[in-house]
Amino acid sequence: MPDLRLLLGIAVAKTASAASKAVGNKGETLSGRILLKFQPDAIALLAAKKKIVLVSGTNGKTSTTKAVAGIVRQLGEVTTSGSGSNLSWGAANALMSRAPYAVLEIDELHLPSVIAQCDPAIVLLLNLTRDQLHRMHEVKRVADRWHVECAEAENTLFIGDIDDPYINYAMAEAHNVVRVSFGGRKHQDGAVCPRCGKYLVWVRYQYSCVCGLTNKITDRKFLKGNAAYRNATLANVVAEALGAPPIEFSQEELERSVTKNYGEKTAYIRLTKNPASWTEALAGEHKSDVILILNARQVDGIDTSWLWDVSFAALKDKNVIVCGERALDMAYRLHVQGIESVVVETFEQALPLTQSNEVSVLAAYTAFFGLVM
Amino acid sequence: MLEIIRIHNELLGTYGDRGNADVLAFRAKLAGIKARITDIAYPDELPSTGDIYLLGGAEDAAQALSLEAMKKKMALNKAVKKGAVVLAICAGFQIVGSTFISRDETVEVLGLLDVTTAPGTRRLVGDIAVASEFFAEPLTGFENHGGVTTLGSDATPFGRVIAGNGNGVGGVDGAVSGNVFGTYLHGPVLARNPEFADLLLARALGAKNLPASIEVNDELAQRYAKWRRSVIK
Repeated sequence: MPDLRLLLGIAVAKTASAASKAVGNKGETLSGRILLKFQPDAIALLAAKKKIVLVSGTNGKTSTTKAVAGIVRQLGEVTTSGSGSNLSWGAANALMSRAPYAVLEIDELHLPSVIAQCDPAIVLLLNLTRDQLHRMHEVKRVADRWHVECAEAENTLFIGDIDDPYINYAMAEAHNVVRVSFGGRKHQDGAVCPRCGKYLVWVRYQYSCVCGLTNKITDRKFLKGNAAYRNATLANVVAEALGAPPIEFSQEELERSVTKNYGEKTAYIRLTKNPASWTEALAGEHKSDVILILNARQVDGIDTSWLWDVSFAALKDKNVIVCGERALDMAYRLHVQGIESVVVETFEQALPLTQSNEVSVLAAYTAFFGLVM
Repeated sequence: MLEIIRIHNELLGTYGDRGNADVLAFRAKLAGIKARITDIAYPDELPSTGDIYLLGGAEDAAQALSLEAMKKKMALNKAVKKGAVVLAICAGFQIVGSTFISRDETVEVLGLLDVTTAPGTRRLVGDIAVASEFFAEPLTGFENHGGVTTLGSDATPFGRVIAGNGNGVGGVDGAVSGNVFGTYLHGPVLARNPEFADLLLARALGAKNLPASIEVNDELAQRYAKWRRSVIK
């Protein structure tokens, strides 16, 4: 028998969403929230008829979710998360679709409850590093919650990058698991074994703990590469598990970067939001003009102390212009590393100060969306 | 030459406190004082010959490992007896206290400050401002901790809390004894409060019987500190 509260909830949520869109909002968060108000079990009820893939991790969630959705679309119609709506109401909203497949990006702290509610076929775990510590508090705290839920979800296949010891620990007791390694890499927060609390012994890029946690024992092994390549590869491991043919992705598709023209100038805008993503971005190629935009709103992380864990040496000899609500935090951090920058308030003020027509822009989360939406 | 020792940054580096060493070395250079940073990792032996020792914030397991390593030879206590300066932040502050009570056990810690830390009922997270008698203007920073720190009879608070929580009891933040400073301020605290960096440099020079007046004119540092003070009050 159909669930009446669910049907009523969907009807009201869709009406509210349409009204919200009519006044210029995206309507995703609102409709998901309304649905969960009417029927708190909506995620479980809607998920029952779908094959579901969840994607989570500190960095690369949105782009990897897009990649996985693109692959799964070869098998049938897919519903997926709206950009950035990765909390439980975002999931509820996406699941209202009739599509037989759902590929959802889920926030790290919301993941355990969404897994418990929707009994997914596959969960892809990308990485866990420091991010929004005012909200996450500690990396280990997130990994502990994942660990508990991975052990509970008997029907789910967990696919994860175990070069990250937190991911390896999270999946350690999972019933069905594909442990992927890219030959190892350094982890800035990986000095302590997340499973037993001992000092984690690293030999170059391989770690082995006395408790047995190691990235030397893997199910799938791939060549080394940057984050975009790794996430594309992981998306294709998901595809393989679902029986979908693999797809090749371009670098830009997987790295949350956007090219935008402003009159004569072309800006290559990239999302950078925590020590790991800044370090990844700074390792790439940059134009001689670089604009850095730093905000510290909730989703950016309201504390900027982590700037001191990033080396900005790659910006030496560049024309660096800093803007955003926390521009001074960035300018002083650069100053102490011997990099002088020009400080202005906004991107619009920064752009005319560039010398060439090709500009690299590294932008905090809220700033990135401000520019590209 | 001042030797700045950054202790176990791979363990005590969760909240960006590694920057305190960078700011000290930078301000020393601007003041014409020779200084170098030595990083001591967990497996390394901690020398007792340093001039300034820095400890930062950490997650629980990392904090326990760092403490265990430092207890072996008590090198930090030996250095303090010789007059060394210590700046200990958050988990580091808890380590240099006298007692640390976790959910499972009560641990005797290094005993450089007469303070006891116990788990609080809620996590204290957000911007913080503290008025300290050492400085004309308040200090600002960011706190993120679950511990509540109570001062013993021999302890003096580092400052009075103007905004935020600090130790979580008594309206104060941190503790001070001689050249040992403990506080909950991240930021890093020396980046946001350059006068504090200068005080530590002066104390370290004083301990070596060197002239201890620090004159640094860094306009950007002043501007940054002033701006944070105007926002957090």
